Amino acid sequence: MAATLTATAPAPPRKLLASRRTRVGILYALPVVVYLLVLFVYPIFSTLFLSLKDTDGALTLHWYADALTGVNLSVLFTTLRISAETAVLSLVFGFVLANAISRLKPLWAGVAMLIVVVPHFISALVRTYGWIIMLGDKGLVNETMAWAPGAPFQLLYNELGVVIGTTSMMLPYTVLLLYGVMRGVDRRLLAAAASMGAGRVTIFRRIYLPLVAPGLASAGLLSFILSLGYYITPALMGGPNQTMIATLINQQVMKENQWNGAAAQGVILLLITFAGLLLVKLVTSLGASRRKRSAS
Amino acid sequence: MAEHGVVTPSVKTAGATSATTTGKALSVVALRKTYGDVVAVDEASMEIAAGEFVTFLGASGSGKTTTLMMIAGFCEPDSGTITVGDRDVTRLAPQKRNLGFVFQQYLLFPHMTVQENVAFPLTLRGVPKNEIRKRVGETLEIAGLSGFGGRKPRELSGGQQQRVALCRALVYRPPVILMDEPLGALDKKLRDQLQVEIKTIQQELGLTVIYVTHDQEEALVLSDRIAVMRNGLIEQFDTPRELFERPKTPFVADFLGAANFLPGRIEQHTDEHTLVRLDGSGGLLKARRHDLASGTAVKAAVQPGRLRACAPDDGFCTGTVEVATYVGTLVRAGVRIDGGDAPLLRLEVPAGRGPVTGERVGISADPEDVNLFPTEQDG
Amino acid sequence: MMELRSTLAGRIVLTAVATMILLFLALPIVVILVTSFSDNAFAAFPPDTWTLNWYKALFADGSKWPAALSLSALVAALSTVFSLIIGVTAATALVRSELPLRSAVFALVLGPLVIPQIVTALGLFLLFEPAAMLGSPIAIALGHTVLAAPIAVLILIATLRGIDERLEDAAASMGAGRLTIARRITFPLAAPGMIAAAIFSFITSFDEFYISQFLSSVDTVTLPVQVYNSLTFEIDPSVTAISAILIAFAILALGLVALVRWLGSGRQGSLLSVENTAGVANPGGETV
Repeated sequence: MAATLTATAPAPPRKLLASRRTRVGILYALPVVVYLLVLFVYPIFSTLFLSLKDTDGALTLHWYADALTGVNLSVLFTTLRISAETAVLSLVFGFVLANAISRLKPLWAGVAMLIVVVPHFISALVRTYGWIIMLGDKGLVNETMAWAPGAPFQLLYNELGVVIGTTSMMLPYTVLLLYGVMRGVDRRLLAAAASMGAGRVTIFRRIYLPLVAPGLASAGLLSFILSLGYYITPALMGGPNQTMIATLINQQVMKENQWNGAAAQGVILLLITFAGLLLVKLVTSLGASRRKRSAS
Repeated sequence: MAEHGVVTPSVKTAGATSATTTGKALSVVALRKTYGDVVAVDEASMEIAAGEFVTFLGASGSGKTTTLMMIAGFCEPDSGTITVGDRDVTRLAPQKRNLGFVFQQYLLFPHMTVQENVAFPLTLRGVPKNEIRKRVGETLEIAGLSGFGGRKPRELSGGQQQRVALCRALVYRPPVILMDEPLGALDKKLRDQLQVEIKTIQQELGLTVIYVTHDQEEALVLSDRIAVMRNGLIEQFDTPRELFERPKTPFVADFLGAANFLPGRIEQHTDEHTLVRLDGSGGLLKARRHDLASGTAVKAAVQPGRLRACAPDDGFCTGTVEVATYVGTLVRAGVRIDGGDAPLLRLEVPAGRGPVTGERVGISADPEDVNLFPTEQDG
Repeated sequence: MMELRSTLAGRIVLTAVATMILLFLALPIVVILVTSFSDNAFAAFPPDTWTLNWYKALFADGSKWPAALSLSALVAALSTVFSLIIGVTAATALVRSELPLRSAVFALVLGPLVIPQIVTALGLFLLFEPAAMLGSPIAIALGHTVLAAPIAVLILIATLRGIDERLEDAAASMGAGRLTIARRITFPLAAPGMIAAAIFSFITSFDEFYISQFLSSVDTVTLPVQVYNSLTFEIDPSVTAISAILIAFAILALGLVALVRWLGSGRQGSLLSVENTAGVANPGGETV
C-alpha cells in the first residue's frame, strides 16, 4: 500500500512517509482516546458540573460550603489524618523491608518479593477480611498476646484497626518503589565514604539518605494519595470516628440520593489528589536534576 | 611488499570480478538526501557490476549508512534514482526490492530456530517444503553451521549469529546483498576470521555485495572497489590499490594511508618526475610526474610505510629519531627533520634494522610513492 | 563487588524486622486459607476442628454465590476483550508511530490509575444512571475497562518496546509484507505480553469493587460486592470459602503470568528471580 502511495505521489516522499506514520498513529490512538474521553473524562466533568449546580439548576457553591463545614469537614480531616498515618507507617516499614530485600541473596530476595507482590493482586476486600479474622477478640493476635496484661486488646473498629489495614494495602507499593530506588544507588559510593573514614551512621545519614530521599518522598506521597480515596478498609475495620470521605460519598449516593453533595466531595478529593500528584512530579524532577548535576 | 610494512589486500584479486561479471547489478544516479539543513548524501552516483564486492568506507556521519539505507528502501531519497538490474526501485517499499540485508545487530528472529530463520525468506516466496529444506541445509553448510539448525539464536555466539544472518540474506539469492557493518559488534580476532569467510563465500557464489564499514583494513581486505565517503560526498570510488597508491584527495591519502604531508613548492618537471622543494628543510623531493605548474604550492603525501631510512644526507631530508617504538614486525619511528618546525615525520620500517632513538637518519622515498596535492590556501 | 559488610548483630536485627513485616503482609491471607477449613468460621484461630462445609455451602440451593461468580466472570471476560482491543491499538500508536500529542495521550491513559477510584465510580454512576443502565453487565464491563485498559496499555507498551523494531525491517528486507510481518514476527513475539495483559485485565475487573458497587442493582451483584455485603449486612460464614477461592485464583493467575514471562524470555534466569516477581507487579515498567 505504501509503495503505490509513494510511487504515484509527486510530493516530497519524506514528508509523505512521516505523515503516513502519523496517520497510523492517530488511527490506532483513536480507540483509547475516545473510550477514555467518553467513560472517564466526560463523567468527571459532569461530576464537576453537578457539584456546581443547585437543585433548581442555578450555579452555586453551597455544596462545597456543605462539604467543608460541620461533620463533613471533620470527615475530611479524618481522611487526611488516616492517610498521613498510613503514609508514614507504610513508608517506614517499606523502607526497612526494601532495604533488607536489596541486601538479600537473589533467591531469598525473590521469595521475599513474592510475599510482597502476591498480596497486591489479591482483592483488598479479602485481605481486609483476613485482618478482621486476625484482629478479633479471639483472633490470632489476641490469642498469642493472651499473656499480656489488659488482653484481649481492642484492635478492631477503631483507628488502630483502620491504619493496620490500610498500611498493609499500601505497603506493596512503597516496597516496590523504594526497592527500585535502592537498586539504583551505587553501593560503591558507600564503600568510598567508608574508605575516607566515615562511620556507619554518617554514611547512612550523609550519603545513603540523600541519594534515596526523592524516592522516599514520592513513595510517601503516593501512598498518601492512594489512601485518600480508600473506602473498603475504613468502612469494614473502622468505627464511626473513622468515616472517610469515600464512605461519605458512597452513603450520599446509595442511601441519601444526594448526588450534588457527593459530587462536591468527589471534586474536593480530586483536587487534593492533583495537588499531591503535582508534589510527586516536583519531587521527582528535583531528584532527576540532582542526579544530573552529580553525574556531570 | 612486507619491506614497506604495509598491510596489502592480498585476498583481493582481479580475477574474481572479471570471471563473474555479467553486467550491471545496481546503479545509483545523483542520489541526494537531506535532513533539515544537513546534507546527508550529496548527488551520489555509481555503477556496481554483478559479482562485485563494493564497500562504502567513511567515518560516522559520512553518509555511507544513509546511502545503504536508501538502496535498501528503509529511507527515501530526496532525489535521484536507484536501479537494480533493469528495475527502477527508487520508490518501492523495502519488501518489493528483492535485496538481501545483513544488519550489524544480526536481527535474527528470536522465536524461530536457526533453520526457521534461514527458511523464512524462502517460505515468503512460496518455495516448496523439500526444496526449502535442501537449500537451507546447503546454505548452512557453506557457513559451517550444519549442526546448528535446531538451535535458537540466543544459544549461539555472536559470530555464529552473524553467520546465520548471512545465510538468511543469501539463501534466496537476491541480486545484491547489502551489509551494514555486519562485523561491528564482534571482537577483532573473530572479525578477521569472518572477513575471510565472507570474502570466500562471496567469491564462490559470485555474490554482488555492498558493504558498509568505518574500518579501513576491513575495507581493503574485502573489497573489489571502495567508495570513500566524507560529508555526504563520494571522495573517490576505486580499487583498493588505486586508492592506496593514487589517492585523488588529501583526505583519501590520510584516511587510507595515514600519510605524512610535507608542504613545498613545485620546482621543475622532468619527463617522468616532478621535483618539489620542501618548505623548512629545503630538501628536494622527487615525485612521479604531476600536471601542476611550476611554483604551485603543494602538499606531498607519503605513507609512513613507503618512507625509507638511509644514511644521513643521502635522502631528500635528514633528521633525528625522537621516538622509536617496536610493534612486532615493525618499528614505528618519529623523526624530527632538520630546519623548520614541521610535525614529526612518521616512519614504519621493518624491525631488526630499525633506527634507534637519537640516531641521525636520512629519509628517502620512491618517486612512485609520492602524491602531490595543490595546497588549497587560495580557495 | 565492593560493598560495605554489615555486622552480624545488624543482620540479625534486620532479618527479624524484615520477617515481621513479611508476616504482616502474608498472615491475613494465610489466616483466611486456614479458617476456610475451620469448623468455626469466625475468629477462632487456629481452628479446633476441620471441615469442608463452607465450600459446600457455596453451591447449596439458594446460595447467592454462583450467580455473583458467573456475573463477575462474564463482566471480567467482556472487560478483558475491550481492554485488549484498546491496549493493542493504543500501544501500537504510542510505541510504533509518530503521534501528535503523544504525552497527552499517555497522561490520559495513566489518569484512571492515579485518580481515586471512588471518583471514577461516581462519574460512571452519573453517566449510566440516566441511561437506565445500572445493573447491566455491559455497563459494569465498560466501567471496569476504564481501569483495566490502562493496565493492558502499559503492559503492551513494555512488550512492544521489548521487540526490536528492526526485526520488522529485517523481515521487510527479505520481502515480507506488512501483514506477514505482523503475523509471523510481531504477533508471536508479543504473545507473552498479550497473555499477561489479558490476565491482568481479567484480575482487575474480577476484583473491582467501587465501580461495581455504584453500577450494580439488586439483581446484578458482582462477586466483590457480594463479599462486601456479606461482611457488612448478612453474616454468611461461606464468605471465608469464597475468599480462599479468590486467593487461590489470584495466585494461579500470577503463576501463569510468571510462567508465560519465563517461557517468553527463553527460560533465561530463574522463575523466582527478583526481576521476574517485581516485573509481575509492575508489568508496565512505567512509574507514575
